[in-house]
Amino acid sequence: MFGLGKKKGKLPNAAKEAQMELSAERTVQLETEITQNKELLQQHTSKNQALVYEKIGLAYSELGKVEEAITALEKSLEQEKTTGNGYRKLLSLYNQKRAMAAKAGDDLELQKYLEKIDWLMQISKDVTRGVK
Amino acid sequence: MGVVNFIIQNILTQASITIALIAMLGLILQKKSVGQVISGSLKTLLGFQVLSAGSSIIVSSLTYFGKIFTKGFHMQGIIPSIEAINGQAMNQLGLGRDIALTFLAIFIFNILIARFTPWKYIFLTGQAILWMATMTTVFGYVSGLRGIVLILVGGFVGGVFAVAMPAIAQPFVRKITGSDDIALGHFCTIGYIFEAGVAKLFGEKGENKKSTEDIQLPGQLEFLQDTYLSLMVVMVPLYIITAAFAGATFSKEFAGDTNYLMYAFLQSIQFVVGVYVLLSGVRLLLGEIVPAFRGIAMKIVPDAKPALDCPVLFPYAPNAVIIGFITTTIGTVIAMFALPKFGLAMILPGMLTNFFAGGTAGIFGNAVGGRRGAIIGGIFHGFFITLLPTLLVTIFNQMGFVNATATDVDTVTAALLYAWILSPILKAI
Repeated sequence: MFGLGKKKGKLPNAAKEAQMELSAERTVQLETEITQNKELLQQHTSKNQALVYEKIGLAYSELGKVEEAITALEKSLEQEKTTGNGYRKLLSLYNQKRAMAAKAGDDLELQKYLEKIDWLMQISKDVTRGVK
Repeated sequence: MGVVNFIIQNILTQASITIALIAMLGLILQKKSVGQVISGSLKTLLGFQVLSAGSSIIVSSLTYFGKIFTKGFHMQGIIPSIEAINGQAMNQLGLGRDIALTFLAIFIFNILIARFTPWKYIFLTGQAILWMATMTTVFGYVSGLRGIVLILVGGFVGGVFAVAMPAIAQPFVRKITGSDDIALGHFCTIGYIFEAGVAKLFGEKGENKKSTEDIQLPGQLEFLQDTYLSLMVVMVPLYIITAAFAGATFSKEFAGDTNYLMYAFLQSIQFVVGVYVLLSGVRLLLGEIVPAFRGIAMKIVPDAKPALDCPVLFPYAPNAVIIGFITTTIGTVIAMFALPKFGLAMILPGMLTNFFAGGTAGIFGNAVGGRRGAIIGGIFHGFFITLLPTLLVTIFNQMGFVNATATDVDTVTAALLYAWILSPILKAI
């Protein structure tokens, strides 16, 4: 409690992910997945598009391409409000960007990501209450 | 000298001006343009006046409700509404300026504590800080504190809560989210810990633990889709049933030529309108201040964890939110009937608190004790969050508050600290 009982050796998920290096095979697999999903975007209906954007965003995130991941995950939520893996990943990425902006003293970026986190809080409220 | 005196006595004593000046300070510190500083300050001023208008509407409706409830049920029926408490304290009780300055002081103490201690949390839920500032100011005032001491003590107490509550919740938040990056900033945390404790005692353990997320629940609670619609669903029957018990003869005094049940219906709508107006005012009021100060706070303590509003946890256990809401509501209904048996006031269930606090508590209960933990813990949680505000009713009545009590249990706990510890000490010395 109060952070005192926290195991020192444990790293937060984001840090753990950043430390893990992807194998060449996994990298190729993710890049192929992204390419295939981008092609799918041309053909699918709105609901599927949200899912496809989410898959693209998660794949970019695993590849460490934060900006691309954010763009795809935002598009997914703009198409359909959900609070699945894509939502959680986006919250984590926004928080990383917010922390970087705070450390750099970049007020504009800091406000931008705090506002984006506000947007995610509203989506969470809406989804839980069933607001479309 | 005359001009200075005029400014001090007639302008700076106005709560709306004080709040607008706080917003102006935040905007200047953010190096905003002159136009943005002026428009932001004016919007904040407008927000306070809108809040005041909402408060007047609520008070008028609550005054009527209090009278018919006492006549109908021969006891006091209290509506749990932190908005109503805030509105009345800011306006009818004339504590608006002190609340505004305490609000600023809480931000500053939060930054100082996060900067110089290991508890690096910045509380980002502006509305919750306003409620905390309200309660510390009201109960500091009752304890006999005045002026700068009232503000500094309130700021310190609120600042401690702003870091202590996320810190207490963090081990659970880590377990729920699987991450240590984000904290929970919601002043209902003591209730969440209480539910977690009950879930630990009565919940499922080890391999027998079944998560709420493995069951199929109706996904949507349509009447909750709109804040005001959900308020109406509760307030309309409450007013009409109460008026029916009070009877036509008694109600005629208020209703005049209008049918007394129709009048009760219209008054219940008035209450909802009051909350609508008041919360619009709060949004305008905080719209400029909060972004300014949270930006400053996160820059001063860049390694601090942002403590976010309770919906941050909803995606991790959406079923637990629904179960938490339902079981907390059951607990509040049990407490509504049980507490008057012990000579306490009847506290009517507050559906919005039950949803947000109950839902989040359900996530804690599920994380600790699985389904059984969430269900049993939720019922106890509902009882607990009704019991605590009941303890404040006498003081609120003595101060002249009309038929309302606070909701968020951390703010109630802060108030009880003043009433039970600080006030006796101050009176003894």
